[in-house]
Amino acid sequence: MVTAQGIGRRDVHRTGKPVTGSRIALIAGFGGLLIIIALSGLDGLRVLRKVRQEDDLIRRQFLLRNHLLNDIRSELYLSGTWVRDYLLDPDPSRAATFGASLENVHREMDVALASYERLVEPRESKEYGELRAQLMHYWNLLGPVLEWSAAERQRRGYAFLRDEVFARRTAMLEIAGRIGDINEEQLNAGNQRVVDLLDSFQTRLLLTLTLVLGLGLLMAAFTMRRILHLEDHAQARYLEVVEARSQLTSLSARLVETQETERRALARELHDEVGQSLSAALIELRNLSNALAGFFEEGARARVESVRGLVEGTLKVVRNMSLLLRPSMLDDLGLIPALRWQAREVSRRTGMDVLVEADPESDSIPDEYKTCIYRVVQEALHNCERHSGAAAIRIEVQRTGDELILRIADNGHGFDVSRSHGLGLLGMEERAAHLGGALRVRSNSKDGTTLEVELPFREVTA
Amino acid sequence: MREIRLVLADDHNVMRRGLRLLLESQPGFLVVGEAADGRQAVEQALALKPDVVVLDIAMPNMSGTEAAQRIREALPATAIVILSMHSDESYVLRALKAGAKAYLLKDSAEGDLVDAIRAVSEGKAFFSPEISRVMAEDYVREMRTRGAQDSYELLTAREREILHLITEGKPNKEIATLLGLSLYTVETHRRNLQEKLKLHSVAELILYSVRKGLVSSR
Repeated sequence: MVTAQGIGRRDVHRTGKPVTGSRIALIAGFGGLLIIIALSGLDGLRVLRKVRQEDDLIRRQFLLRNHLLNDIRSELYLSGTWVRDYLLDPDPSRAATFGASLENVHREMDVALASYERLVEPRESKEYGELRAQLMHYWNLLGPVLEWSAAERQRRGYAFLRDEVFARRTAMLEIAGRIGDINEEQLNAGNQRVVDLLDSFQTRLLLTLTLVLGLGLLMAAFTMRRILHLEDHAQARYLEVVEARSQLTSLSARLVETQETERRALARELHDEVGQSLSAALIELRNLSNALAGFFEEGARARVESVRGLVEGTLKVVRNMSLLLRPSMLDDLGLIPALRWQAREVSRRTGMDVLVEADPESDSIPDEYKTCIYRVVQEALHNCERHSGAAAIRIEVQRTGDELILRIADNGHGFDVSRSHGLGLLGMEERAAHLGGALRVRSNSKDGTTLEVELPFREVTA
Repeated sequence: MREIRLVLADDHNVMRRGLRLLLESQPGFLVVGEAADGRQAVEQALALKPDVVVLDIAMPNMSGTEAAQRIREALPATAIVILSMHSDESYVLRALKAGAKAYLLKDSAEGDLVDAIRAVSEGKAFFSPEISRVMAEDYVREMRTRGAQDSYELLTAREREILHLITEGKPNKEIATLLGLSLYTVETHRRNLQEKLKLHSVAELILYSVRKGLVSSR
């Protein structure tokens, strides 16, 4: 007992541990998997936003710089035009207007240059410095020219224009073109940066994907193994239960069989041996009484009569016991006479109307079927008598092809089938099940209770 | 008075001896043979041709009812009394069908056997009073259960008379003489009453009479 308990507890422990272990593993595995997927998703979102920002910035700066550069260029051209017009116009007042316009352009260029200076990238600082120096030199060169008289302009104007202004302008435009190229390069480099960013993101994504896939595969394999293991376990348990149940069924069937055999033997013994002896005793007592008649007083005969009364009572008890155990007519006359006898007995005892309707051919069935039906009817009548409050009971036995149907209907007040599981019903069910049949019970307070037993024949041996 | 010659058959020695003692103490009874099983009973009966054979219903080798049938076939003049432990009408009908004239419960045989033997030797049927009573009660109850009309009410006075005489074991010819009718008329009445009662053998008619309480036990 103690060892059995010990083993039982250890067993529970053994099966309990891996279950919690695998539970933790499953939670950790699937949780980790989900966290990795979520992190990778967040990373993706972050990278996308950064790419968009970067791209935007690069494009805006490029456009701004390009715009400023173009301003500087166009102002350079414009300054050239104003210088030419100033130098070549003989009218002093118009020249003055051109000069003022030139000053204006100078101011605007300074503003553009100052704006550009804030945006200068390290890579173009050399070129920018060169451009600024040239421009400063250019404006410095133009400064004294504005002071020139009309005669001076006429005399030196053209040469100055050709040698200084146009030559310098070409050189400066060339520098500006170089800066524009660098600017474009910058744009390309920015694009390259974005591509690099996306590339690194792709690599990371690929890594994450591989990780998730690998981990998922691992989890799947683990879960699968666990489930298969549990399934095997459950299957084994199920088989155990099925085996136990079939053993129980066969045991109970054997029990019923044994009980029936013993009852039959006991009933026979009581009926044939004890009953016969008591009957013989009665006859002998009658003979004794007759023999005493002539020789003794009435007192002696009265004693004999009282003994006869005792023996008669005992004989009745023995007969009833024998019939209750197993009515001899079941073996002598068959099922239907036995059922009719039982119906009459119950009717006589209780006052209920008990009607038996049976096909004559339903008597040509194997012994075990007869016994089963007889016992079910006996139990059912017993239940009716005790619980149903019925006034009438109808027992039907039908044989249809390869099936025997027993129906017992009463007009009592019924019972709740789903809640009442008396041993009587269970016993009937078991008897029916033993022969491959089934018991159905319908009951309600209006129509009473109907018991139905269906017994299939596998082979008709009768 | 002519002596009644008897054969006793019971597998129980004490029972048989007791019965013999009982019967031989009565004037006019002579036990000419005894048998301990069914087969022996048939042999004894065929050899001795007794007036009455008393048969226990349950015997080894051959049951009382089967022995009764054999004896009945070979010796129509021999009356048969069945001793039984069973009071149920299924057994009674079986015994009647086998040709028994009387059916006695062993429990009360010591009291009724002498009367029964006297009755059957005169051609009458005899049943233990308890059997008559139980069967009559069952009949009334069954009629009520089935809600059926009592078929006895359907019979004419003449048919009832003839039913009584059949139950007493009288053949048609004797009935005709007793009632002053032609044999043909008796046969017609008999057919009609059997049709009305839906009973088709003498045994069933007798059983019916017992259930109706038409057969007196004494």
